[in-house]
Amino acid sequence: MKQKLTSSVQIILLLALTAVGLTGQSYPGKPKIIRCRSLEKETFSCWWKPGSDGGLPTNYTLFYSKDSEEKIYECPDYRTSGPNSCYFDKTHTNPWTTYNITVMATNEIGINSSDPQYVDVTSIVQPDAPVNLSLETKTSASIMYLWARWSPPPLPDVSSNSHVYHYELRLKPEEKKEWETVSVGVQTQYKVIRLQAGVKYVVQVRCVLDLGEWSEWSSERRIQIPNGESPPEKPTITKCRSPEKETFTCWWKPGSDGGCPTNYTLLYSKEGEEQVYECPDYRTAGPNSCYFDKKHTSFWTIYNITVRATNEMGSNVSDPHYVDVTYIVQPDPPVNVTLELKKPINRKPYLVLTWSPPPLADVRSGWLTLEYELQLKPEEGEEWETIFVGQQTQYKMFSLNPGKKYIVQIHCKPDHHGSWSEWSSEKYIQIPPDFRVKDMVVWIVVGVLSSLVCLIMSWTMVLKGYRMIAFILPPVPGPKIKGIDTHLLETGKSEELLTALGCHGFPPTSDCEELLIEYLEVEDSEDQQLMPSHDNGHPSKHAKMISKETDSDSGRGSCDSPSLLSEKRRESRALPSTLQTQDIRDAEENKGGRRSWETQCIASEQKILLFNNESTKSSTWPAAQLPNNQPPMFAYHSTIDAHKITLSTTNVNIAPVLVGNEEKHQSQYPITETVHDNMEKEREMEYLHSKTDQTTVQVKQSRPNDKSPFLNPKLMDYVEVHKVRQDEETAVLLKHKENSGKTEKYTVPGTSKEYTKVSTVVDHNILVLIPDSRIQHTFVSQEPTMEMAQNLQQGQAEKNMGYCLPVPSECSRETSGSEYMDPSSFMPSFK
Amino acid sequence: CHTSGMLTPNGKEYAQKIPREELTHLILRLLQAWKEPLSHFNQHIEHHQELPDDSLSKAKQISNMVHELKTGVEKSMGIISNSLNGVASSEAAGLSISNEAHMMSDSDFIHCFRRDSNKVQSYLKVLKCRIMPENSC
Repeated sequence: MKQKLTSSVQIILLLALTAVGLTGQSYPGKPKIIRCRSLEKETFSCWWKPGSDGGLPTNYTLFYSKDSEEKIYECPDYRTSGPNSCYFDKTHTNPWTTYNITVMATNEIGINSSDPQYVDVTSIVQPDAPVNLSLETKTSASIMYLWARWSPPPLPDVSSNSHVYHYELRLKPEEKKEWETVSVGVQTQYKVIRLQAGVKYVVQVRCVLDLGEWSEWSSERRIQIPNGESPPEKPTITKCRSPEKETFTCWWKPGSDGGCPTNYTLLYSKEGEEQVYECPDYRTAGPNSCYFDKKHTSFWTIYNITVRATNEMGSNVSDPHYVDVTYIVQPDPPVNVTLELKKPINRKPYLVLTWSPPPLADVRSGWLTLEYELQLKPEEGEEWETIFVGQQTQYKMFSLNPGKKYIVQIHCKPDHHGSWSEWSSEKYIQIPPDFRVKDMVVWIVVGVLSSLVCLIMSWTMVLKGYRMIAFILPPVPGPKIKGIDTHLLETGKSEELLTALGCHGFPPTSDCEELLIEYLEVEDSEDQQLMPSHDNGHPSKHAKMISKETDSDSGRGSCDSPSLLSEKRRESRALPSTLQTQDIRDAEENKGGRRSWETQCIASEQKILLFNNESTKSSTWPAAQLPNNQPPMFAYHSTIDAHKITLSTTNVNIAPVLVGNEEKHQSQYPITETVHDNMEKEREMEYLHSKTDQTTVQVKQSRPNDKSPFLNPKLMDYVEVHKVRQDEETAVLLKHKENSGKTEKYTVPGTSKEYTKVSTVVDHNILVLIPDSRIQHTFVSQEPTMEMAQNLQQGQAEKNMGYCLPVPSECSRETSGSEYMDPSSFMPSFK
Repeated sequence: CHTSGMLTPNGKEYAQKIPREELTHLILRLLQAWKEPLSHFNQHIEHHQELPDDSLSKAKQISNMVHELKTGVEKSMGIISNSLNGVASSEAAGLSISNEAHMMSDSDFIHCFRRDSNKVQSYLKVLKCRIMPENSC
């Protein structure tokens, strides 16, 4: 039985197969749903793709069911969405349901169905792309923009227009790859502003519903952006010039052309005429210019000139320019600049520069008269020297340096209104160097002679150097005290020395301090005080010293012997107390403001009175600065080794010795007055030997002072001597008796005299000073030194009258009148 | 300008074409036309306090110069006798012209004077080079 069945089946199968094989027909292939889409959430469509049709006409049917319902519906509309599609309209679409869709393909032979497709309407929403995209370029407020418009995607159901789409637009220049996307919103138009002119843009747009996906991009639209076109800007007329006062040209400067080709026209009218003309010649003078030839040029009339710029978008006119040709003449530079070197006989050669006026200028008829100007400078120089030449066309140059190279330029201008032309091209001048034989010979001779002289001098120096030096700079003589060995002096205290000098107990040993005298005040009423101010033994010593000054060999007076001076110039040197070597020194050299000046007496081999002049400080009188409130009459620092000036009571004129510096307003000197002089002596001073390195000044008083026998009893004035301690600056203040209250001037009205002349030296230790009327009260210059010198020589015929010349550099500050006279120089027995 | 009515050559060629006498007469007429207005102007500005003193003196100086120039031209051209007629007629014309001149403002006056003096200068130079060409012409 079974065998019969299987075989029958096999036969049937075979028959079927052969039938198939014979006819090529079979049941249809399986369709496939390719897509389901909703355009607007209210309808949707599905498309399928058929399989093979099996050779027979195939019918396709779509069946769907909703959610989990059992009921199966068939597609309501196969046509709307096109072939192989099914359109579900509103009534059949539920947004919130899931559709189970299958497609069945049926043909005569069999049926085949696709796989089921689950579709949720909300998830398949995708609108169509917008349509009707149109592009336009528009200009608004001179800004160019692109205006894009489109329509929303069409719907089969026209009625449903209430959908709100959101749009997106994208554009790019045609050649570029990057899109620029812009979100538009719900509008169906959009204006794009940032556009490049002259570029072709491609634009697309797409839309989306509130849910779902973006539609496809619409088809591309292209648009060409034109170059921004605008009317041109206003041109400006820059200048008008006439080169020869017969024609003229005007130039203008165009503004921006607004993107389009622009035309320029120049229009003018003349003064007094209404008619407007156009420029006769645009070309001759170049672009943007107008050339007026002779026919069109009138003088002494004002032209009203304007330029108009025109392009497709509009036109614009420049401001009017008024011009009168007479005033705008600017010639060309001169030409034919030539140089000629002329060498007249017996004179220095000179250069002649010639030129000619520019070719166009008609100077011959006098219509245009030119003036010229030169500009000259050496080649390496910085500044030009301008020379106005006038109307001539040549110039002679005399003052150029031979051998140098010069550059010269010329320019011209009309003699009346007008402007200077450009400078002509540079012309180089090379002056041939002028070697004068004579000059060279002179220089050679001079050189030879000077070298000879130098040789001779050096030879002499070598041979006799010492003597010459000695001749020029005489050495300061050493002390030559008879009976005293210089070595004794050098060794300091020495009994022998002292005894030789006749001093007792000098130098003081233990009572140095006592000897330091604060100050010496010498006043009439204080005669007695003066002496007591000295130390006990002092006066007597002084007296003794004074009286026993008998060494005739020594340099007496205020100047110490040179060796001593040199030794003891320092502040703290031991002072051999010799009368001769008495010095009034200023131990303190620098007291603020004090001046200790150094005067170097240049008296040939005389004793020199040395003052250390300290000029660094202000030259106010130390009095002012002394802590002690001395009436600052006179203060001086002197490093006079030994000088004692005593006044003699003899009938010799006693000239005061000016010891200190004299300020201009302090004419204070230590002056000793002569007895004979009944004039008011200003002051007198006596220099005491200082035991130590202090300056002691003994002031003579006008009243007789028995303690100081050397004081001039007749002296009317006194000097107040202020002596300061050693550690301070020693100063001696001399004060005029009369002006005891004063601290300033010493001026004695009328007969104030300065005793600056040393008339003689008495007793080898007394300096006689005389007043010198020639000497001004206030010395303000160095002159008085010379004066004094003269005076000295004038008066009593002193021998050996020397004078102390202050060392110029130092003493220049001094007011004169305060030089020390070297008393020693007046000592006849001196040397 | 009150002298605008005068027919004057406007360029070099015209100036060179005019015969000498006519040019001379023209120059003299111009100078004459300014004589009176200048003096009137001087009187006018004397009352101007704000002008500096040297302006006033300069104006006077210019009037004198114009007068001297006129005299000089007359003399050099030897036209003294001939110009009597011309002067008379130009005097008459000058009077009417000078009325016009009084109406001008100061700046216009100066502008016109500058122009006319330039004219006179140019004509004289042309004349000079015509008569005496060797002297820097």
